[in-house]
Amino acid sequence: MKRFSWMASLLSLQVFALEDENQSRLLGYELRLNGKSTQRAFAEAKEEALRTTVRLERNGKLIALGLLVDPSGLVLTKASSCIGAREASLTNGERYALRIRKRHEPTDLALYQLIGEGDEFPAVRWSNLSNLENGSWVLSAFHELQEIRVGVASGKTRPIEREGGVMGVILGSSSKSPQGITIREVVPQAAADKAGLLSGDLITKVDGRRVKTSNHVVDLVNDKDPGDVVVLSILRKGDDRDFRITLGHRSVTFDLFNRNMQMSGPVSKRKDNFPLVFQHDLPLEREAMGGPVFDLSGKCLGINIARVDRVTVFSLPSKIVRERLEDFLSGLDAR
Amino acid sequence: MSFRFFLLLHVQLCLFSQLPGEVLEKQAWEKTSPQSLEDLREIQSQLQSLLPEAEKSVVSIETGDGAGSGVIISPEGLVLTAAHVIGSTGKRMKVRLHDGKRLSAVSLGGSELSDAGMLQIKGRKDLPFAPISAKDLSSVGDWCFALGHPGGFDSRRGVIVRLGRIIGKKDETMQTDSRLLGGDSGGPLFDFEGKVIAIHSRVSTQPDQNFHIPIESFLANWDFFRDQSILTLESLAEGGFLGISCQESARGLLVIGVLEGTPAEKAGIHAGDLLTQMDGKFLSTRENLTISVSQKKPGELVRLTYERDGNLLSSEIKLGRRSEE
Repeated sequence: MKRFSWMASLLSLQVFALEDENQSRLLGYELRLNGKSTQRAFAEAKEEALRTTVRLERNGKLIALGLLVDPSGLVLTKASSCIGAREASLTNGERYALRIRKRHEPTDLALYQLIGEGDEFPAVRWSNLSNLENGSWVLSAFHELQEIRVGVASGKTRPIEREGGVMGVILGSSSKSPQGITIREVVPQAAADKAGLLSGDLITKVDGRRVKTSNHVVDLVNDKDPGDVVVLSILRKGDDRDFRITLGHRSVTFDLFNRNMQMSGPVSKRKDNFPLVFQHDLPLEREAMGGPVFDLSGKCLGINIARVDRVTVFSLPSKIVRERLEDFLSGLDAR
Repeated sequence: MSFRFFLLLHVQLCLFSQLPGEVLEKQAWEKTSPQSLEDLREIQSQLQSLLPEAEKSVVSIETGDGAGSGVIISPEGLVLTAAHVIGSTGKRMKVRLHDGKRLSAVSLGGSELSDAGMLQIKGRKDLPFAPISAKDLSSVGDWCFALGHPGGFDSRRGVIVRLGRIIGKKDETMQTDSRLLGGDSGGPLFDFEGKVIAIHSRVSTQPDQNFHIPIESFLANWDFFRDQSILTLESLAEGGFLGISCQESARGLLVIGVLEGTPAEKAGIHAGDLLTQMDGKFLSTRENLTISVSQKKPGELVRLTYERDGNLLSSEIKLGRRSEE
């Protein structure tokens, strides 16, 4: 024990000396990848990003960013992030009331209208690029709309599969108890915990259907989406009881226990089930989702649709965004 | 008089005016910071020309209780990674190549001091591999790119690239502002010539100050890492002990402290001495000294060569035991 503490103290001594001197020799923030000096080189692309990005607020708090897509003040954004958005502001400080016009679940996009004087809003210019090569520069406005954040396309463009809702339980093997499927563990704070399920409970039915295997339970639940309700018939100490559980997101439920997620900070609730995304490493907060991402010439490559972890943002490519926008617009005309 | 002064000034201006000329010849990634979209495009095209080859050398390492990354640096499948990824020496594990193919591997050695580790893929002679940098070629401010499998292998996603700059480099640690996440550990950091300059080690709580093991740490202890067991903090206690702390410099290891009552103090070593050799072998890194000393037994004699006030001195020192001092 004595020798161990000795060793520890020596090591910590060395580490402190190292960090102390290291701090003074670290490259200044100005010159780093996201330093102001680097940002200046992005010139017109930076101005374009700031000019066409919109802050969406609820009760004075930023909840998402959006992009101006039309001189009349139409704004596209991430639908699941901006529920209840009341107000919008631009980089020049102008503020507007907001009205929702359209929503589309599969792409998680929504269309809003800025309400106010004027029909000469700036609008993004779209990129036609269909496949963004890894290592390509990308940039987005930082959420205060004074700076940008820069980085590179970092992974293959691909569809992201649906994850389905989860209860937040770990099931035992079904062979052990013929009466039902044992709940071995309940994840604290997750959907099942909030509904009052306990470890040791036996699941006999899911939505009225008798279940014999744990896989059967998982399949039935996974068919539903986060936010859907599932009714479990539970056998607890000889008593039958029904529980209504509002399903949670897989990421939020299990990632609480994942060190990577603890290191990542808040991530988007919905980060699954997108028809196509490209991925990049921009350091953006969860509240900066819904905003546009640009290339070096200031053309809009797409919309940041999910903050996945601290190295990953998913973006919907411009092709998909524009198809959706055209659908939204034709819907408006019809009215 | 004033005319001559003007002339002088003019000559000086001419001299200085050559400096911008030299600056112009620099590649965009060698400038203090990129100045224009053109510079940014140059950085991008250099990165993209290096990426396809670099990606092929990256592996995901499946240890059974977690996943990390690594980089193949020889066609026979020697892999550089982090000690905390492989855990211990002689463990069977699987690696996945960039295309998803699974191969058998066994963990070699490394050091818990720097977190350097090695791994050998078995039965292959034709693997894609990355060149490694020579020592002292990377420095603070250099552009670099990190590759790895953050969060584990995903075939549809592929190897993930992050761009950054070296923000700190000292002794057995390098720091960059390229973004890392668990699963990246052990993956390679490349310079803008496509050579491995470091291996990802610890993910910092500050996302733009992550830690890497500089290639110098591997180069200084190559045979030891490849052929011996991982040097653990516990095993340090069993080996010989000097009692000095030092920092690395271009010419040797600068002593910054000598602990009271230790063999080093008894032998008359003091702060400011520059250690250059132990038993006739050049001391290249701090870790190199610690490993060399710890591989001897307490009571064994070592000969330290060092500089003091311009004089070359040499002392024979009887190593102590860490626990006793």
